[in-house]
Amino acid sequence: MEAMSTREDLLEERRRRRRAGDPRLSEADREILRRITTGDLAEDFQKALDADVADDPLLGGHDADT
Amino acid sequence: MIVIDEYLAMRVVGGDWPAGLPDSEELALPASRHWRILQRIHAPGSGQISQVLAALTPAGRDSLRHPHPELLQILDPRPLLDDAAAIAARYGGGLLVAETLAAGLANGRLLWFGVGRNVGGLLEDAAGDLAVTVHVAT
Repeated sequence: MEAMSTREDLLEERRRRRRAGDPRLSEADREILRRITTGDLAEDFQKALDADVADDPLLGGHDADT
Repeated sequence: MIVIDEYLAMRVVGGDWPAGLPDSEELALPASRHWRILQRIHAPGSGQISQVLAALTPAGRDSLRHPHPELLQILDPRPLLDDAAAIAARYGGGLLVAETLAAGLANGRLLWFGVGRNVGGLLEDAAGDLAVTVHVAT
């Protein structure tokens, strides 16, 4: 029973660690990533990603015979 | 292992775990999607995203260049390439869509995206045909 509890504790600690993100990031870093993914820059980020597909024939696809 | 897109990768690294995204399995980003993030870090353009990413600390950039494997793994593209080429031949599109679908096929027929627009019509249609379920996180 105790072994089970220890295993569950370890799994829960791992979950908490993962949900907290990368500890190397500063608060300012986290804010930058938040703005890009869910904040005021999300639309610009998507436009940039769309441009990658449009501009890069390997990523976006092209006629293999050309 | 759950295959995710660029948005979810950056949210998870930043500690903004999306509601609904399971936290009991490893997360993985296809190499071509990691490439799109890396391009902006190593060859920033004049756009606002590049400028903002340039403001990351060196440690912050490193967290995207070399994500901690406990948080995010980058999928080796080599085992996926043959399936990806077959998918591209069948449905059209390029490496990005084909590799993502091949990764989904190899990992539980499941894909998670951060926003609906990043799924794209081609991937959505092909995923339906291939019985790959596409989730969009909230």
